[in-house]
Amino acid sequence: MLTRRAGKVAAEPRPPARKRRTGERAWAFAFASPYLLHLVALAAWPLLASLFFSMTDYDLMSSPRFVGFGNFTRLFSDGLFWRTLGNTAYFAVLFVPTQTVLALGLAIALNQRLRGMALFRAAYFVPVVSSWVVVAYVADAVFNPQTGIANQVLGFFGLPAENWLQDPALVIPTLAAVAVWKGVGYMMVLFLAGLQAIPEERYEAAKIDGASAWNRFRYITLPGISGTTFLVLVLTSIETLQSFEQVFVMTDGGPHGASELTVLHLYRQGFQFFQMGYASAIAWVLFVLVLALTLVQFRLQRRWVHYA
Amino acid sequence: MRVRMLAAAAVAVLTVAGTASCGGSADDSGAVTLKLGFYAAAGDAADTTMRELVKEFTAANPSIKVQLEVAPYVKFFEKLRTQIAGGQAPQVWLSDGVFVQEFAARGALADLSDRVKTVDAAGYSGIELNRDAKGRIYGFPQGAQTPVLFYNKKLFADAKVAEPTADWTYDDLAAAAKKLTKDTNGDGKPDTYGFRAYSPGFTESWWPIVKAFGGDIVTDDNRKVVVDSPQSKAALDWMLGAMGKDGFAPDYATTEGLGKGVVHTLFATGRVAMSYGIYARTLPAVSAGVDFGVAPLPKGPAGRGNVAIVNSWVVSKAASPAQADAAWKWITFFSGEGPQRKWAELGEAIPINKKVASTALPADRGPAFLESLDAATDLGTNAVWSEYTEALAKRMNEALSGATPVATALTAGQKDAQEVIGRFYAGQTQ
Repeated sequence: MLTRRAGKVAAEPRPPARKRRTGERAWAFAFASPYLLHLVALAAWPLLASLFFSMTDYDLMSSPRFVGFGNFTRLFSDGLFWRTLGNTAYFAVLFVPTQTVLALGLAIALNQRLRGMALFRAAYFVPVVSSWVVVAYVADAVFNPQTGIANQVLGFFGLPAENWLQDPALVIPTLAAVAVWKGVGYMMVLFLAGLQAIPEERYEAAKIDGASAWNRFRYITLPGISGTTFLVLVLTSIETLQSFEQVFVMTDGGPHGASELTVLHLYRQGFQFFQMGYASAIAWVLFVLVLALTLVQFRLQRRWVHYA
Repeated sequence: MRVRMLAAAAVAVLTVAGTASCGGSADDSGAVTLKLGFYAAAGDAADTTMRELVKEFTAANPSIKVQLEVAPYVKFFEKLRTQIAGGQAPQVWLSDGVFVQEFAARGALADLSDRVKTVDAAGYSGIELNRDAKGRIYGFPQGAQTPVLFYNKKLFADAKVAEPTADWTYDDLAAAAKKLTKDTNGDGKPDTYGFRAYSPGFTESWWPIVKAFGGDIVTDDNRKVVVDSPQSKAALDWMLGAMGKDGFAPDYATTEGLGKGVVHTLFATGRVAMSYGIYARTLPAVSAGVDFGVAPLPKGPAGRGNVAIVNSWVVSKAASPAQADAAWKWITFFSGEGPQRKWAELGEAIPINKKVASTALPADRGPAFLESLDAATDLGTNAVWSEYTEALAKRMNEALSGATPVATALTAGQKDAQEVIGRFYAGQTQ
């Protein structure tokens, strides 16, 4: 019926409304079926399967053995799990605000209409599209205790050298710094889009009224991009809770587990130690945490996010 | 219209289903298809040689068709676990020796004990190292690795230090290493160290050293962790001294700072004059053009502490009888003189065929490796080897980095590792 020409439809007696609606619905399902199948096969089914596995002892080889909430009780008494959660939280606390503030600052700076700005924007975006393996090599050139630039800089100021990624106290801040460097470009682009959506007239009107640069930023820019800021905060928070590749490539959780993040712990349990059931339980706890965090953020947004 | 709609839905279903269903197995006409898995970097020498050997094998056994599954080490074992879960695993695959019991204990491997009885065990190295607590054998040796002492001949000559001998003790090692440690650019820090003591790969570091000092890691069929002992403490103290007050070995942070995997090139690049290394480490040293020799590990208060890893062929329990027979045919073929000699040319591993091993290894280096292999015990393998050794290594490394006192770390390490083992074997009948 979608292919029918309008004239022909008009010439035919119209089918009863109910029948027409059923037919349309069927077509709608037919066209949505690839997506629905995708949803069922690749999202809903694995989700339910992992929920089931989280209540079993499953080593991938023998059939799963039901253990009820055994994996979850073990999880809550697993010191290592709590430690990885602590590491992840520490990483998030350093990463999320730093990246957000820096991305906003860069976006404002790069929102100027000056020559060669596209080049600067591209420069900040390059790390975003680089793989973690490449980033790890670059990071090594900076933080290698023997040959890295970071220690040379410290040395220049007469400060002692540090073992950035080998020192339990420094490893998470160093990783967070590298993650900011890699991720800031993407968030900057989001902020740029947000900034450019603010109508120019508002600034002009404020200028005429004699508003200072700070007041223009405080009362026009910040509210104008609050929607973007919210998006950036949600995205980066979820991203940190799911961090895996970076530690997998750069530290493998070391030294002595100081940078072992929760997803790395999950990966080890599932794919190295044959404990898929336990890994699924970790995944579900993590899922609940991400969900809770996002819900809290959505709830708080009412207080400070304005959609113009 | 309804028909078209159904067709559209059917196409979508088939698209999804099509991505999920692949694979094949043996047919009943006498011809067998054997999926053979091994780990190698694509296109490297091992990959090429393996393909040549497979060609040779199928030429001699026309009724067997071999499908190869190759992936780099980490990827290979990651994929394997999901393949086993999905019933798509190769029927025969090359396993890192330390994983054999992990897969066997979970019922993924065929018991090869009876088949192994049909070969002359005296002709092969490493069969006994594969035996589990109940005496069963789930893997047949493919190539062996055992650490010995590598030394850089030029650095020894420059420092006028006598080369290591089979009579060396840990004191001799320390004395020589001190003389070999040099600060050439005058920045107050050595640029060349006498010895590499710490390594994230404990096979070439604290494991043999603890054993040489009279300690042990696990006993009672590798189910009881016994690392918390005065002997282990003495061993770690010796290592800490080497990296600290004696200063003849790079410390933990310096070694780790060189990056994962790079620690093995410390010797090849001449930054340490001596290092424990398995046979595979001769490759980077040879390709870097280092003039080096190998000697047996030095003697500690309780001997040399030799250990070995035997990488092995394993057969999937899910293989059909015909496939299992074909797999065993491949294994015996690979253990034969011709293939073993060809494999030995790669220089990756000690041949497990004793006849080949006695002639195919370099004359100056072969004997030290072979004697060490003969004297070696296994690397504490059990069903949870990966997990318990990681828990233990974390604590050992805490001690070796100076973050935790040795005694505390040993107590904690023993407890952590024992917990892992206990959790698995609690209620297990096998």
